Amino acid sequence: MTADALDAVIHAPARLRIVATLAALPDGSSLSFTRLQDILELTPGNLITHLRKLEDAGYVTSQKTGNGVASRTAVALTRRGRAALDTYAEALRGLLDGLPAAQ
Amino acid sequence: MNGTRDTSNMAPAGPGGLDPREAARLLAETEREARRQFNLSPQWTNLVMGAVILVAYGSLWLTTRGQHPYTGPSLGVVALVYVAVAVAFAVAVKVYRRATAGVSGPAVRQQQAVGVAILVSFVLGSPVLQGALRHYGASDAIVYGVIPAAAPLIIVGTTALGIAASKADWPQFGAALAVVIAGVVAAFVGPSGAWLAAGIGLFIAVVGYGAADTRRHRRPLGV
Repeated sequence: MTADALDAVIHAPARLRIVATLAALPDGSSLSFTRLQDILELTPGNLITHLRKLEDAGYVTSQKTGNGVASRTAVALTRRGRAALDTYAEALRGLLDGLPAAQ
Repeated sequence: MNGTRDTSNMAPAGPGGLDPREAARLLAETEREARRQFNLSPQWTNLVMGAVILVAYGSLWLTTRGQHPYTGPSLGVVALVYVAVAVAFAVAVKVYRRATAGVSGPAVRQQQAVGVAILVSFVLGSPVLQGALRHYGASDAIVYGVIPAAAPLIIVGTTALGIAASKADWPQFGAALAVVIAGVVAAFVGPSGAWLAAGIGLFIAVVGYGAADTRRHRRPLGV
């Protein structure tokens, strides 16, 4: 197995951290954009860019409620996203298990 | 993933240019941090709760030990217990708010419902029994000794037992069972001994649950 077997959408530091953070929440839960940003310490622009890529792949959904200063964006991992992370972790495990341990 | 792999034979970096070993480390680190962020019972709160239990129940036992007839704890100790309960409640609310800030969904609503169920069983259970027993002429040793020590543990413990079973949360189930057992023991060791039995049982349940929960959270989810 090579690194090409890894899901390219998830296999980037920021997106891997986004998906892993959302996966720590129970199924069906969502997290506000600001809390996600606080946890990951990403700039809003950077976070939006990566979320868009994850949304395009169907791995996350974002929902905006309210208007103006009261607006709130909630981000959630989809079932497809959770399954993709499981598959990614499995592929990563396989990749690392196939390597000889250092002496 | 023990971090002892030979990097010279490492698979090439993936499509994102991320080394697989680095990806595994990042995934494990992120999972750990996320669980810390969303943890409703971090280890330090269990230790605070354990200390509060020891101080409150220890004071109740010390001031009622050797009373014949049983007259109950002094007003000062009762005030100390109320302060301890207020501190424990404030810590629990602060931790809950921090852990669930920005989080929404059915799991949060379920946690709130569980919190309300436990609070209602705690607030209503023992006073109702005490009132009824007083009404039927039970002694002070029963009304102000055995029942307030044993009843909350049995009532809240069985409520928590059912909740833990429904969620298949076995560390919580074990802690709730320990609380129920402590309540049962407290009901049969006399009014002063009841405070001691209740305090020891609650302490073991809270600290034991904290240790089990910490061990569970250390286990990696992904790699």
